[in-house]
Amino acid sequence: MNEATRPEGWSGETYHGRPVTKASSFDWKVSAYIALLGMAGSAQVIAAVARRAGGRRARGLVRRARLVALAGSVVGPLVLIQHLKTPSRWYNMLRIVRPTSPMSLGSWLLTAFGGLSALTALGALFGHRSRLARRVADAAQLPAAAAGAGMSVYTASLLSATSTPLWAAAPGPLAAQFGAASMAGAASALALAQRRAGEVGSARRLERLAALAAAGELAASLLAERRWREAGVGHAAQRGRAAPLLQGAKAGGMALPLLAHAVSGRRSGLLPELASLALILGGAALRHGVLQAGNESACRPEDAFRHADPRRRR
Amino acid sequence: MEGGLAHRRALDYADRDPRGPIPQEAEITTGRRVEPGRAYGFFTDTTLCIGCKACEVACKEWNQLPADHLGLTGHSYDNTGHLGAHTWRHVTFNEKIGKDGRRATTMPPYQSHWLMMSDVCKHCDPAPCLEACPTGALFRTEFESVVVQQDICNGCGYCVPACPFGVVELSVEDGKAHKCTLCYDRLKGGLEPACAKSCPTDSIRFGPVEELLEGAKARVARLHAQGQPAAYLYGAPGTPRATGGIGRLNAFFLLIERPEAYNLPPAPSRPAPRALPSILSGLAAVAGLAAAALLIGVGRR
Ligand code: SF4
Repeated sequence: MNEATRPEGWSGETYHGRPVTKASSFDWKVSAYIALLGMAGSAQVIAAVARRAGGRRARGLVRRARLVALAGSVVGPLVLIQHLKTPSRWYNMLRIVRPTSPMSLGSWLLTAFGGLSALTALGALFGHRSRLARRVADAAQLPAAAAGAGMSVYTASLLSATSTPLWAAAPGPLAAQFGAASMAGAASALALAQRRAGEVGSARRLERLAALAAAGELAASLLAERRWREAGVGHAAQRGRAAPLLQGAKAGGMALPLLAHAVSGRRSGLLPELASLALILGGAALRHGVLQAGNESACRPEDAFRHADPRRRR
Repeated sequence: MEGGLAHRRALDYADRDPRGPIPQEAEITTGRRVEPGRAYGFFTDTTLCIGCKACEVACKEWNQLPADHLGLTGHSYDNTGHLGAHTWRHVTFNEKIGKDGRRATTMPPYQSHWLMMSDVCKHCDPAPCLEACPTGALFRTEFESVVVQQDICNGCGYCVPACPFGVVELSVEDGKAHKCTLCYDRLKGGLEPACAKSCPTDSIRFGPVEELLEGAKARVARLHAQGQPAAYLYGAPGTPRATGGIGRLNAFFLLIERPEAYNLPPAPSRPAPRALPSILSGLAAVAGLAAAALLIGVGRR
């Protein structure tokens, strides 16, 4: 019908340089929530693995992992509710189930994760006295780990399921990035705890896991950057306000601690602990950088038009 | 009857209190009744827009929206800037005074060098904002329009980045999301939406989407015949590549320039389908690391 006269791809023109899409209101409270619940979620994954691989010898680690999960699932939602513009209505998050909304499904997942983490925490808190508490906690461990895996990554899917160019351009790499960062954060937090508890061997294994996760985080970050470049929406991440944070996260929060863990070998002491701390902070910086850069890209008409270019759609 | 200015249906209610509306007044102003169960929307024909902003004013008045963006933007006559929590109609102005760095010396017919368009929420089907809303505050009405229920919205703000057109926005005043309701209250009362009723050139037409579409296609054909070959429909259901992934826009447009000249994305996409591949890649990464943890022997001393 009108196909002959329909303009093809984006011509480079903008409307007075004005934004096409609107930026989210997601701020540091949301990035803090993402980092916190990612760590809590991955702690449950680690608890399940440790329970399997270590049996009774893993008791200390499992207990600490369950406590990290409990702490995260108590503090995280409180921070998240503060981000709502009408926080008194937080309970409306559980009013319906909307299968198309990662935020709706995420709210239910968070609820389930909180409940399961409370059950596993029973084992951590009363396990030494009560067999029932131990039983309940062990029964809840696998479901808690499954929910925890979801908690580690769903926030990336939530961002990608928007019209914000930077988030929409790399759904896969973003989730891999968030998942790896969650695992790196949880393994590092637990490694620190194990060192404090004097379980150095166990800490070393966790540090190896954290290093692997950091490598994955780095690879996923590079992949995400490539996707952004291909889609022409990477400006905010490369040269925007969040660029230093993202570059810093990659260098100081992934590459350097990875290197530190690699060279520290069997040695104990300050270096591995610093590396663990850097990995935790790096993961948080990565999330905040992605959030900020996305908000900036939403305000750039060039990014929005490139994202909505018909030539990019099959 | 004397004169002949009043509509026959209006005369039927001559003895009614004039402060109350005439039942199904839309029949008088648009020739169509407003009945639940049908899809209603806007057809905005930019070739008829004269940039008077009557729609903006009527919308603010009817919906009691506060004034904002006081000041001048320097962007032609567009001092409204953008759609937002308090601005549900926005007339865009784009002056095409030249091409390729040279002054234009000829004038094509219809909105020659001055493109004006009254922008509005597209009441998409499916609607990305609605698909994102976790509380059910955003819902599809019996008129197929998309409305935010103010008593449910908790201001999570997820609909804002979800909208491919930058329409819906959180109000800093009350912490809820706001946007065009297609005058839900007026439709319930059998009235045409305020903007369409106030439009002096009928650039904004209100009615059942199927009927609007027929008229729009005829209008495009007429414009082509009258020497404006660039006219095309944006966002009309079934228009090739118009809405990439979003089935149709219940508020659609007739344009004579590329979509971006009116600040419309050339091929907006539905965001929701991006969630599944994303979550699967993420879970794969976590599962891989969990397997690695097992191999490393995390938990052993
Ligand atoms: S234009 Fe935006 S706000 Fe309006 S229905 Fe579509 S997604 Fe929702």
